[in-house]
Formats: sequence, C-alpha cells, structure tokens
Amino acid sequence: MIHVIDAPPFATIQDLGRTGFRDSGVPVSGVADRDTALALNALLGNDDNAAMIEWAVAGGALRFDGDATIAFGGARCDVKLNDSPIDPATVIPVSTGDELRVARFVRGRFLNVAVRGGIDVPVVMRSRSTLLSAGIGGVEGRRLRNGDELCIGTEVRSDTTHFDASVDTLAQAPIRVTRGPQAELFTGAAWNTLLGTELRVSRTSDRTGYRIDGVELLHSTGDALPSEPGCVGAVQIPGGGEPIVIMHDGPTIGGYPRIAVICTADLSRFAQLAPGDAFRFELVRQPAAG
Amino acid sequence: MADAASPDIAPLGDDALLVTLGSTITREIGRRARNVARCVREARIPGVTDVVSSYTTVGVYFGASHVPLTEAAVALRSVLASISDTDTESSALIEVPVVYDGADLSEVAQRTGLSIDDVIRVHSETTYRAYALGFQPGFAYLGELDAALALPRRATPRIRVPRGSVAIAGRQTAVYPFQTPGGWHLLGTTPVSVFDPERDQPALILPGDTVRFVVMQP
Repeated sequence: MIHVIDAPPFATIQDLGRTGFRDSGVPVSGVADRDTALALNALLGNDDNAAMIEWAVAGGALRFDGDATIAFGGARCDVKLNDSPIDPATVIPVSTGDELRVARFVRGRFLNVAVRGGIDVPVVMRSRSTLLSAGIGGVEGRRLRNGDELCIGTEVRSDTTHFDASVDTLAQAPIRVTRGPQAELFTGAAWNTLLGTELRVSRTSDRTGYRIDGVELLHSTGDALPSEPGCVGAVQIPGGGEPIVIMHDGPTIGGYPRIAVICTADLSRFAQLAPGDAFRFELVRQPAAG
Repeated sequence: MADAASPDIAPLGDDALLVTLGSTITREIGRRARNVARCVREARIPGVTDVVSSYTTVGVYFGASHVPLTEAAVALRSVLASISDTDTESSALIEVPVVYDGADLSEVAQRTGLSIDDVIRVHSETTYRAYALGFQPGFAYLGELDAALALPRRATPRIRVPRGSVAIAGRQTAVYPFQTPGGWHLLGTTPVSVFDPERDQPALILPGDTVRFVVMQP
C-alpha cells in the first residue's frame, strides 16, 4: 500500500493509455513520458502497461505500508527516502514506514514513480489511465489527494530486470516533426519561422495541450476547416497564429490547421519540456505513405 | 484532390493515416466517411487500434503496433478499393428527453425573433444526424439545426456549462456530457447520461446515429 501523505499539486495514475475509444471522443491519455515509463517497468520486471504515478509540478511525499520495490525517473528532482537521497533509474526496496519525499523539480515536467506489480486502481474502459475531463480512471478520475491509499498489484512479467540506460527524456536536441495534414496551407515564411526560431513552451500548457510562445504562423485558410481526427503531437495553428500542440488528454478531433506533427520518438522529450523551456523543431521526411 | 471515388490517404503523424473524402461538409460526404470507417473497422487490418470518422475524413490509428506506415497504407488502400458505396445508412434512433429551461432560452428567442415555444418546437421537431464525436468523450456534433435557430457561438464562453446541457451553435446542436467550459447557447438539460464509462458502449450517440429531442416536463 502507498499512502499519499503530502500530495503534489498535480499527480495522476497513468498506464500506457486507453486505446479503442477515440471514436467516442475519448483521448488516449496515458503517461506523457512514455519512454521513461517503459524503461522503469522493464527495470522492475513489470508488464509494459503497469500503471504508475505521474507526478508533476512540485514536491510531495508518499509513505509505504508493507514491502515493495520502486523506481523513478523522468524529470530531475531532489528525491529522498527517509532523508537519504536516492537515485533515479534504480531498483529501490522499501518497507513499512519508509517515506519517499520529492523536494523540488530541477528540470523537466513529469516524474514517473513506478512500483513492482503496478499501481492497482480499477480498470475503466480497458485502462487505468486517468482522464480528468471525464472523471474516469486512476483514483476516482481525479488528481491524487492527501490521504489517498494506493494498492500495489501483484502481476509481474519476469524476475529479470532490464533497464535501457540510453533513455534520457531530458536530453536537449531538436524535436523532430513531419509535415502535418495541412502543411501546404502555410507560407514559406511560416515554415522558416517554425523551423528557424528558438521556441518556448508557454505557461499555458498542460496534458490537453502545450501552447508555444513567441511565434505567429500565417496560413492561407480563412475559415475554420471541418473538424478532422487529430493525434497527440499535432502542431495546430488557430486563427491567432500561436501554435498549440495537442497532448495526451487533448481533444480527439479539431478544426485548426495542423502544420506539423511531432515524431512519436521525440514525444516523450517534448512532453518533458516545462513552462518557459526553449526548444527547436527539425523537419524530417516521412516515407511516402500515399 | 480527394474525391469520394479515390480518397486521399496521407500520414497523420507517424502512426496514423488520414483518409480524406472531400473538402466541404455535405451529407453525402459525411455518409461516405462513416461508411469508410465502418468498412475499415470490419476489415480488421492488423495493428489498427482506432478508426475515427469526422465530417469529411477518417483517421486510422496504428498506435504502437510497429507496423511501418508505408505497409499500413498499402493495407488500407486495399480495403478502400474494395468498399462499395451505399446510399443507405442504418443507425440507431436515439431519443433524448429535454427539460427546456436553459439559461439562454430567452436570449435565443429574442435574437431569432421566435417565441420561446417556437424555439422549443423547432429544436425538437428536427431529426438530427450525428456527424462526429470529439471535444469531450460522448460529445456528439448533431446536425442540421434549422436555419431559424442559427446563431454564432457566444462571444464569451461560459466557464461552467452544467452536465447534460442541451445546446446549439451555428447549424449544430449537442449535449454536453460533463460540466465544462463551453460557448454554445443553452436551451435545456437532459437527465440522460450521454457518456457512461460503465456501459458496454460508453457513448450514447455514435457517428451516424439519428437523434431526436423529446420535450419533457420538469
């Protein structure tokens, strides 16, 4: 059992997401830093889809009841177990009375805290992921609160553990994009701006979408387009010209033109960009799919 | 240029494909889009996790299936080639009871020049078709709303629209599944749950369904 004794401002339970319901308007949700989540579950011998705590914004504390094995990673934070600093990407045994305390976020947005066996919350629509807007999944469809008690599951995949040490979702490198469905509606100047400017993630950014500050992209469409199916990582340009990137809890369809889409391989790094963080986009070619 | 006979297939990111049937919203294109979605689902292409139809397009999602997009496109194109179009569309008829006591009922009456009774009558007499779901789980865009009730969205959206609100904007109407910010005009409320995660089919209304609003006494 894990007791939430000091809830961070924003923490939810997430697994790899809820597929199969996009046509009902249900976004996939799931961990935003999927690369770290997969690495931690492999490290702990969990199934890929074992649910964990996605912890964001600021510090807090958990207390353990019973024996468990944990691992954490993603954002760089000051993390201690009973006043002793502990390292990310490490298998850490805990037992009754142990307290894990996160003091502050140094870099990155999401800290994944995983446990061997996974967090055992009810499966809703085939997933344990939380979707706040609909109040489904996770702990009662909401953020974690003081007093919450999280059960630990018993299903593990193997006793051998494996960690991909090359996973570093805080690495600074361009975020690769491919041309979006409405790429041809944008002027050359818009593309030069998109690819040539140091961009910043806005303070107005959350799991539904990240606004991008400091650029205005012109496009040649006057009226809004008929709403089309979307995808996580789509770079939308509303009429005002300031980009919004659709994220994991974002709407499943939309009428804003999409100039580009972030490559899935770089989504975890993009998701870890905190408000104010700078980045650049890099265009990569997609093998022809038509 | 896409047309219904040879739909355009384009990448939607690197693990999804977008099929475009046309560029303007028409009943026929909407019907074709839903037909394509249905046929693609039934074809059970390996690796497909979701198929989403909208007004003029269909999204086909391959998730983390590791199917290369070029391969997925070949499989999808083959399915599209085998689809025979149909004029008919079978779908569920869903009746949604409404208590017409919405916060904007008077304003809508005033702005359209209709009496409140006529606003209610016009809204509830139409049989609507669900074009697409999105914005929220279970939020179905229904059309076509009678031109007599057509109003642009509210200039300032409400911070809180009550759950179950029945609303209109432009030539569409919808039911808000959850309390949420929203910019449509509120005509009333329904006690029916348009999205229930415990149901086998959580969304009450799916694309292609026909919907009628039924006047309910408070």
